[in-house]
Amino acid sequence: MDAHIQVQELSVAYGANPALKDICLEIPRRQITVIIGPSGCGKTTLLKSFNRFLELIDGVRLCGQVLLDGVDIYGPAMDATEIRKRVGLLAQHPYPLPMSIYDNVAYGLRIHDIGRQDADARVRRCLEIAGLWSEVKDRLRAPATGLSLGQQQRLCLARGLAVEPEVLLGDEPTSALDPLSARHIEQRLLELKQSYTIVLVTHILRQARRLADYVVFMYMGELVEHGPAREVFDHPREELTRDYLAGAI
Amino acid sequence: MKKRHVEEAVARILMLLSFGLLAGSLGLILLTVVVKGAPALTLAMLTQVPQGGYYLGKGGGILNAIVGSLYLAGGGTAVALLLSLPIALYLGSYTRRRSRWALVVRLALDVLWGIPSIVYGAFGFTIMIALGMRASLLGGILVLALLELPIMVRAMDEVIRMVPAALGQAALALGATRLENALHIVTRQTLPGLATAVLLAFGRGIGDAASVLFTAGYTDRIPTSLLQPAASLPLAVFFQLGTPFPEVQQRGYAAALVLTVLVLAVSLGSRWLAARLGRYAVK
Repeated sequence: MDAHIQVQELSVAYGANPALKDICLEIPRRQITVIIGPSGCGKTTLLKSFNRFLELIDGVRLCGQVLLDGVDIYGPAMDATEIRKRVGLLAQHPYPLPMSIYDNVAYGLRIHDIGRQDADARVRRCLEIAGLWSEVKDRLRAPATGLSLGQQQRLCLARGLAVEPEVLLGDEPTSALDPLSARHIEQRLLELKQSYTIVLVTHILRQARRLADYVVFMYMGELVEHGPAREVFDHPREELTRDYLAGAI
Repeated sequence: MKKRHVEEAVARILMLLSFGLLAGSLGLILLTVVVKGAPALTLAMLTQVPQGGYYLGKGGGILNAIVGSLYLAGGGTAVALLLSLPIALYLGSYTRRRSRWALVVRLALDVLWGIPSIVYGAFGFTIMIALGMRASLLGGILVLALLELPIMVRAMDEVIRMVPAALGQAALALGATRLENALHIVTRQTLPGLATAVLLAFGRGIGDAASVLFTAGYTDRIPTSLLQPAASLPLAVFFQLGTPFPEVQQRGYAAALVLTVLVLAVSLGSRWLAARLGRYAVK
């Protein structure tokens, strides 16, 4: 397997409460990896260890390694902002930046100083990929908050794509959306896996089945099982996985 | 009628009474100032500086105090803003939620807020004497800045604390630094609140008499340098009301009217500005 992200003996604790225990895992390149598991199992913690978001939380302790293309993102020479540029995040609830639709997408370009000459074209391309262009092309200067929730989430996707990441993380990115908007986002993610490594957290099993190429099942901060989606869904090796898929836990 | 309905009715009446009392006070103040001040409010009052014998009832106006007050409060607000925004952004974007250091800073600001302005004036005066400075526009501006600072920082701090954590994380997730997040996202999101904070502090500064009494002094001329003394409207009111001449006292009310209109304009202006600047804010 061509691993894009390798997690090595990763343990995370919030104060005295362990959240992840000794996780070892490889995330395949240019596929959709879905992390599943009951609430509080550490799905989101694992996800946020990939873009160094955990360090924003008070009292977090982390040991172990997360390698991005073989390089530890927690290494002393690594810059968190550079990591976050390479590893984008689609949050649970869409939060547009307090600016116009255009500036939401162009903001990332500006702070990273990319595409000075062709910013307009880049913004347009990102909005097209996110499936939003036709809906907003006549009101690019309007406040982003005027968009519907579903449109806002696609705007957040476009905004994340603008800084040219390699990996896209999604923290239950459709949970705040209506079913139609959720489908819209799912469709975009399926298209995007041609060019990006995607890691999603979801608590919706049916969504996991629709999207996943690779599945990671977590329980109580531990990694129970991981493997290609068909294997995990159809022939789970572990008792816990079977119980979870059957809705028993 | 049930007991709960009686409660509801009584509470409603009490609230309306409180509001009526407040609105009535404001109305009475405005009425007093207008009725007593308007007859003396001539064009000359607004466009001329005091001439010889002004305080005995002869010609001239209070342009010195109007301009002096605008200089003092404008300068003080500008200096306070330069210091307040970094402090507020630091508290809001750089310290952790339960940081002990931030707690100490907020407590210090609250104590500073509560210090009477005459104490600021006396403090400024002491320092000016130690430095060999005389009462001047500069002294007044610096003391007003000090007076306005805690008001401005705490007002800014409150609005910055309302920014959803997830909004700040949106920019960080794109690889923004904390500074970029603070300057581009937090300030934009809170722009209406920041503008209100600035104008609130300005309103406090322009209306304060005690802090400029020793530090800016009083003069019948319009200052042309930072080191000259400056007049101010609150002191113009004070001096004129203190004379035994009815026509001069009436001019005192006219000065009070000018001050009130200025503060009112600033307050309405801040509302308008806040509504305009809030266009892009995320709700």
